[in-house]
Amino acid sequence: MLKQLAEKDLLRLLERIATRRRLLTPQRQSDGSRLLLPWPGGLPELVGTPLQRKPTEIFFPQLELLMELDNSGDVRLPVPADKPVALLGLDHFDLAAIAFLDRFFLSRPTDDAYLRRRHDALLVGLSGLAGPQGATLPPAETCDLELILVPDKLLARPHAKLGEELLAGFTAADPTALRAIDRSPAERPATLLAAARLLQEDQVPEAFWEEIAARCIACGGCNFACPTCNCFGVQDRTFGNRTERSRLWDSCQLDAFMREAGGHNPLGTETLRTRRRVYHKLVADPLRWGELGCVACGRCDRACPTGIGMLALCEDLVRR
Amino acid sequence: MKTTLTTCPWCGTGCNFYLFTDERGQLSGVEPAAGHPVSRGQLCLKGWNAHAFVAHPERLTVPLYRRQGELVPCDWNSALDLLHERLSAIAERHGPDSLMFLASAKASNEENFLLMKLARAGFGTNNIDHCARLCHSSTVFGLAETLGSGAMTNSLDCFEQTDLVLVIGSNTTEQHPLIGSRILQAKQRGADLIVIDSRTIRLARHADLHLRPRNGTDVALLCGIMRQILADGLEDRDFIAARCENFAAFETSLRDCTPERVAAITGEPEEQLVAAARRFARAEKAMIVFAMGITQHSHGVDNVRALSNLALLTGNLGRPGTGINPLRGQNNVQGACDMGALPDVYSGYQKVSDPAVRKKFAAAWGVDLPEQPGLMATHAMEAAAEGRIRGMLIMGENPLLSEANQGLIRQALQKLEFLAVIDIFPTETAQLADLVLPAACYAERDGSYTSTERRVQRGRKAIEPPGEARADWQILRALLGRCGLQADDTGPEQTMMEISTLTPSYAGISYPRLEGAGLQWPCPEAEHPGTPILHVENCSRGKARFSPVTYRPSAEVPDTDYPFLLNTGRTGVHWHTGSMTRRSHLLDREEREPYVEIHPQDAARHQLKERQPLQISSRRGSIEALARITDRVPAGQLFIPFHFVEGAANALTNNALDPESGIPEFKVCAVRLQPC
Ligand code: SF4
Ligand code: SF4
Ligand code: SF4
Repeated sequence: MLKQLAEKDLLRLLERIATRRRLLTPQRQSDGSRLLLPWPGGLPELVGTPLQRKPTEIFFPQLELLMELDNSGDVRLPVPADKPVALLGLDHFDLAAIAFLDRFFLSRPTDDAYLRRRHDALLVGLSGLAGPQGATLPPAETCDLELILVPDKLLARPHAKLGEELLAGFTAADPTALRAIDRSPAERPATLLAAARLLQEDQVPEAFWEEIAARCIACGGCNFACPTCNCFGVQDRTFGNRTERSRLWDSCQLDAFMREAGGHNPLGTETLRTRRRVYHKLVADPLRWGELGCVACGRCDRACPTGIGMLALCEDLVRR
Repeated sequence: MKTTLTTCPWCGTGCNFYLFTDERGQLSGVEPAAGHPVSRGQLCLKGWNAHAFVAHPERLTVPLYRRQGELVPCDWNSALDLLHERLSAIAERHGPDSLMFLASAKASNEENFLLMKLARAGFGTNNIDHCARLCHSSTVFGLAETLGSGAMTNSLDCFEQTDLVLVIGSNTTEQHPLIGSRILQAKQRGADLIVIDSRTIRLARHADLHLRPRNGTDVALLCGIMRQILADGLEDRDFIAARCENFAAFETSLRDCTPERVAAITGEPEEQLVAAARRFARAEKAMIVFAMGITQHSHGVDNVRALSNLALLTGNLGRPGTGINPLRGQNNVQGACDMGALPDVYSGYQKVSDPAVRKKFAAAWGVDLPEQPGLMATHAMEAAAEGRIRGMLIMGENPLLSEANQGLIRQALQKLEFLAVIDIFPTETAQLADLVLPAACYAERDGSYTSTERRVQRGRKAIEPPGEARADWQILRALLGRCGLQADDTGPEQTMMEISTLTPSYAGISYPRLEGAGLQWPCPEAEHPGTPILHVENCSRGKARFSPVTYRPSAEVPDTDYPFLLNTGRTGVHWHTGSMTRRSHLLDREEREPYVEIHPQDAARHQLKERQPLQISSRRGSIEALARITDRVPAGQLFIPFHFVEGAANALTNNALDPESGIPEFKVCAVRLQPC
């Protein structure tokens, strides 16, 4: 049932969530960007530019301890946090990306490191007039409960049992309040779909990739910023008798991503690597999962220093 | 979980990012600062991985001193006492000028200031220098003479306004990636790009013109270009008349630099030279961007003079989208110079030789100060090898891998009576030390850093240092105390107050004012907004000076015994001597082994295969590296990055020094190769 939350209700809701969970809320930083951080009390910064760091990072961190081994052969797994996490303020892009990673990591065989962090996590979506400069965000429904900002009001709608429980007792809202904003569902941008089609039909000439790749400075930013990217490397570090095995984000734009020990490299040119990044998301993922691997969040476009993120690249491709 | 906004520890671009700290109190990642004017939500691969080396098991965690040949742990007090006693004893017996202090372009402004104070006021010597000697000393010297200030004249924003970028001797997309990307973006929006580099670097692939002169012939090439500009009447007469001096002598000096002669010296066809001259001179706003390819020559200062002349000749100074833009390498090499970690100047380039300046610092510090300018780092190594320098304190530098002619440097360091090293890892230099002090890294201490565009910015402490490691400023304060100088444990913020009182260009800078995007010096007053562009109305020295130059060949060129020209430099994934990047998993994975770039023709002639181990030798040493066959290098040239201890390029390089700046000739020496 749709609820209406006055400021004090929102605070009460946050407190309710925080009793059982480590609540992370958007907080504005000194440079203006918003990051998901432990809730310090008070009202969260709901409105503004998209969360700078991809929220999937909470479940799949840039650097994560997988296990510790000692010389006697004992293996210790990291202890899960005492409370599950709650992420608040996720827009429909963030939720789509989490759904994508869930399917990837939680399909059998399950990735236990991901599960350890993801298990029992609460997702609070955000939609309505919470975009930059009050722009409208489309419905964010693949979550436990959704906060919807309409003129002068914050509404809340449960999408799962947990959400319903958390919203119990708050004032019901008039469902017509939603009519004040555009509630059309999010759609992937037409250029992305058109580019995907051209790629699937194999209509993109080699020269296009060469030209784009010549501008790639191999910063890895497109991968590190992308909430659906899931490639990782593994490192072992030995401290005396103890060895830590961790995993860390990898990037398919790097030369050694697939390089073999003997020097052979199936992705040995930047052209091959650039093409692969896009093919993977727009051709391989649809074949494997029935869905594009790009949720069109725009993070790679913002992170790419030379202007060849996914959406810019697709636009270029379609235009030609 | 917590985040800390800080300044990138690698290159001089000055990107800002958030460090993420996990539940264990360790760094777990990096996120670019979206609202920062330099990073704008973007970083290069090194920036994205700046957390990776911090918790490496090889971090130094306790002070170590040498007992019976072994480095063994000791407590901080004994370590600091030992350091102070040994340096004092040497100074007493042989005079303060038998000591040498090496500051660090990786340390903060405050730490560099404290070390220069320690050398000058604590031990009474001007023998202080740092690795700027090896990178931009030619720039500091050359531009100080022609313009009055050795720093980048314009700002990074200017790439958005310029009509043409001339990149000479800078592999910008690898060494200053977020500046390289601005150049690529400028090209995309329609600006012209001229690249002058013997290697086909990434930018060259996008250039309207790519000139590939033989390494070491830039003076000839630039003079040829300038003569052509004059021949075509494309010089900026008004600018020259209003803002410059010594034009007549300069004009005369170009007389012999005809296209034919220049083509013969540089190997670059006449048409290319003429085309470059016309394109450059016709641009309304042109930026000159340069780095080590210009400075690291036995005629590095002349190279810089020539570039300065070119900008003056075409009036490309003091306006947005123009300027002479040396790209400073380290995150704080600009700051280390600004702070007077140089043998001839105090902070803000105030001359040691000026009695009024000495008086000011002497009054502030309550001691007499030495009058003679000190030794440059490169000369100090020669002096150490000859036994004239006997004690050395090195803070965060690894000269055994970074200076030219490793054989000589090893001999110099081994001959010292006492060598102390402050560092975060047991570097090759630290292995030779009598005393090693463990330092906090950038993420473990507060401070400020000055980027290539003179932007002074905050570095902020995110986590605690490992074990007993301490911030350099704490170590230096403790030493200052032992020298009888003010040594309270006040932090960098107070040191910045002292800096601003004594340094006119930093007078308006204080920590509260550095919040946000920092301030670009000169910032002479507390209300001053900072200075994005230098020399707007007048140059720092008044009139800009044309400084005539004549081409001099490099000190050692290929011959029949050593037929290849060796060029050295860096790769995009590693930082200098690799002490941090080779301990960062992703960066290390990208380049794991020393390699040598060789042109396909040369490879064919020597019947070499890709990745074949080669022995490369010069008159000074010999190393092994794997062949990398590529037309990035021209035929006849080999390129080796200097990051790898197991194939140290600087075992080969020539320590022929520029007579004015003391920089070694890293970019040209003669070598031969043979399969292993
Ligand atoms: S827009 Fe870029 S960052 Fe976002 S999902 Fe697509 S590929 Fe990833
Ligand atoms: S963000 Fe852009 S420059 Fe960086 S690796 Fe990706 S495509 Fe290349
Ligand atoms: S460009 Fe330089 S300052 Fe920016 S992230 Fe890369 S190394 Fe750091």
